[in-house]
Amino acid sequence: MEIFNQLMQGFATAATPVNLLWCFVGCALGTAVGVLPGIGPAVAVAMLLPITVKVEATASMIFFAGIYYGAMYGGSTTSILLNTPGETASMVTAMEGNKMAKSGRAGAALATAAIGSFVAGTIATVLVTLFAPIVADLAVKLGPPEYFMLMLLAFTTVSAVLGKSTLRGLTALFIGLAAGLVGLDQISAQARYTGGVPELLDGIEIVLVAVGLFAVAEALHAVLYEGKAVEDQNRLSKVHMTQTDWRRSWPAWLRGTAIGVPFGCIPAGGTEIPTFLSYAAEKKLAKKNVADEFGTKGAIEGVAGPEAANNATVTAAMIPLLTLGIPTSNTTAILLGAFQNYGIQPGPQLFTTSSTLVWALIASLYIGNVMLLVLNLPLVGLWVKLLEIPKPYLYAGILIFATVGVYGMRQSAFDLFLLYAIGVLGVVMRRFDFPTAPVIVGMILGPLAEAQLRNAMSIGEGSAIVFVQRPVSLTLIFVVIAVLVLPRLAKRWSTQQAIA
Amino acid sequence: MKQSNPPTLQTLVASGVLLLGLGLALGAVSIPSAAGYGGVGPNFLPWLVSIALIICGAFMVWESRTGGFRAMDVPDGVAPCWSGFAWVSAGLLANAALITTIGFIFSCTLCFVLAVQGLRGAEGKADLRPIKLIKDTLIGMAIAAPVYWMFTKFLAINLPGLTSTGWL
Repeated sequence: MEIFNQLMQGFATAATPVNLLWCFVGCALGTAVGVLPGIGPAVAVAMLLPITVKVEATASMIFFAGIYYGAMYGGSTTSILLNTPGETASMVTAMEGNKMAKSGRAGAALATAAIGSFVAGTIATVLVTLFAPIVADLAVKLGPPEYFMLMLLAFTTVSAVLGKSTLRGLTALFIGLAAGLVGLDQISAQARYTGGVPELLDGIEIVLVAVGLFAVAEALHAVLYEGKAVEDQNRLSKVHMTQTDWRRSWPAWLRGTAIGVPFGCIPAGGTEIPTFLSYAAEKKLAKKNVADEFGTKGAIEGVAGPEAANNATVTAAMIPLLTLGIPTSNTTAILLGAFQNYGIQPGPQLFTTSSTLVWALIASLYIGNVMLLVLNLPLVGLWVKLLEIPKPYLYAGILIFATVGVYGMRQSAFDLFLLYAIGVLGVVMRRFDFPTAPVIVGMILGPLAEAQLRNAMSIGEGSAIVFVQRPVSLTLIFVVIAVLVLPRLAKRWSTQQAIA
Repeated sequence: MKQSNPPTLQTLVASGVLLLGLGLALGAVSIPSAAGYGGVGPNFLPWLVSIALIICGAFMVWESRTGGFRAMDVPDGVAPCWSGFAWVSAGLLANAALITTIGFIFSCTLCFVLAVQGLRGAEGKADLRPIKLIKDTLIGMAIAAPVYWMFTKFLAINLPGLTSTGWL
């Protein structure tokens, strides 16, 4: 009952005209960002972080959450019509949705993606509403050793498990941790790696790194390697689902949601695993006549399930972010940065110290989902028009927004030179297949993990034994080892099976 | 797995990681340990990161010399367009150098125009006719000016201007 009352209060805050407007602008901007190639939710939120200087915390978090969600809806449009997934989350949608579009069923694919996203987003939001306060209550009992281990788990999964190469994933993570080291040490106030440059005493802004690695690197990569690429756009048919489409879609939506939510809840980030799992499940469960559609003319279940899994994961990722302060993706890492700009540290105390903000944010997720359904179903034709913007204008325009995001944060021209350097680094990383998420997560979570480690060691009076003396911390050590070892064992086992 | 980049370039990248690790280690020497009660001071993570990067870099050098980086996507084999890259780079660097002198609107417009030339050139549609340049300049201004006004007037965020009016 208490949760219900708090949620109602959240609705009262989120439904004020100003906050509704922020939510709407966020959803619309997010959808545009999702549709447009070359710019994702992480970079859009990063570029707009300077608004945290003036805009009130609740309004800006509602706005940023709208961008985050909107991009997930918009991303499926590009995947289905252009076969160019903006993020890994849309890769599976691109596989099957594009096949459907090529068979003249783009409208049905877009509809099942949007409605599936709505269903999964809403169910996951209900779960966030119900379980986030419970997790927060439990998380209060965690101490520095447990927090450090949770962060270590996030580092491990984002770098060593999710990418293609553990070595390059770890390298990216340590580059991120190195970037997070620049500036004053938060415990001893000791300057580290500032090289006497006063601008570096405050550290490197997350906006700078995110915008450099994503927006500037994307523009530089486009000019270097994608100039001659020809895109083949599928025709948009009427956005409509037949009765058969509905019958085939809804079980897939529910299965996708069931797969996505647990993955969002644990600090083992990423939407790749749940979307691929959902796709594999749909393919496995398909009857003979439907199974034949997979990979040929496109099966609607192959779009409905993964899209639902994607949105469920993204929504449920709010649980570790809000209750533990642990981001599990690029965008949630930057959302954490937005909270920090307000001097708010997400974690178990957030539900008591910033209760109004948290509940308004959760309420805005319900409102945003409805707005996005309206924005994405009847208005999809409008968003598709964005794809007509000539690429040179699009990328050059992104550079203007990159400038405002980075310069607006600290008013430093030095940062703009650094932005270029990070952009070049981003191109190198992309060309040599280094993942970027570990850099962002490492950079933002690194200083927090270091503080937890040092506090934990103080509790243990300088002895690392403290990490194995506490049951939760010890369990987390085993989990870290398991996520490192089990996928490798499974891979080796499947290779041996294939040889046999 | 097919190799995706020339081994020399891979070695160069791997050596860069190795050098970064060594550079960080060099910097870590000057950070005092001051471990205090916890036994872990401000130099602990710098050392950890340095050593980890040195190890990762060394492994990557070894990979690059023994068949190339593992588990990599095969590249599209497109020759890079360096002239386009130079245009975009010039735009970004000019923007950084001039933003405090000529103001946000003009500096970003210059960046926009230069970047458009590079991107258009990469598409094989280079066009430096004055009419085209004027059109690009106007489009650049049409994006930069509202962004500037939104930030300076609506959000009261300080961006450099040619004048102190907040309009230009």
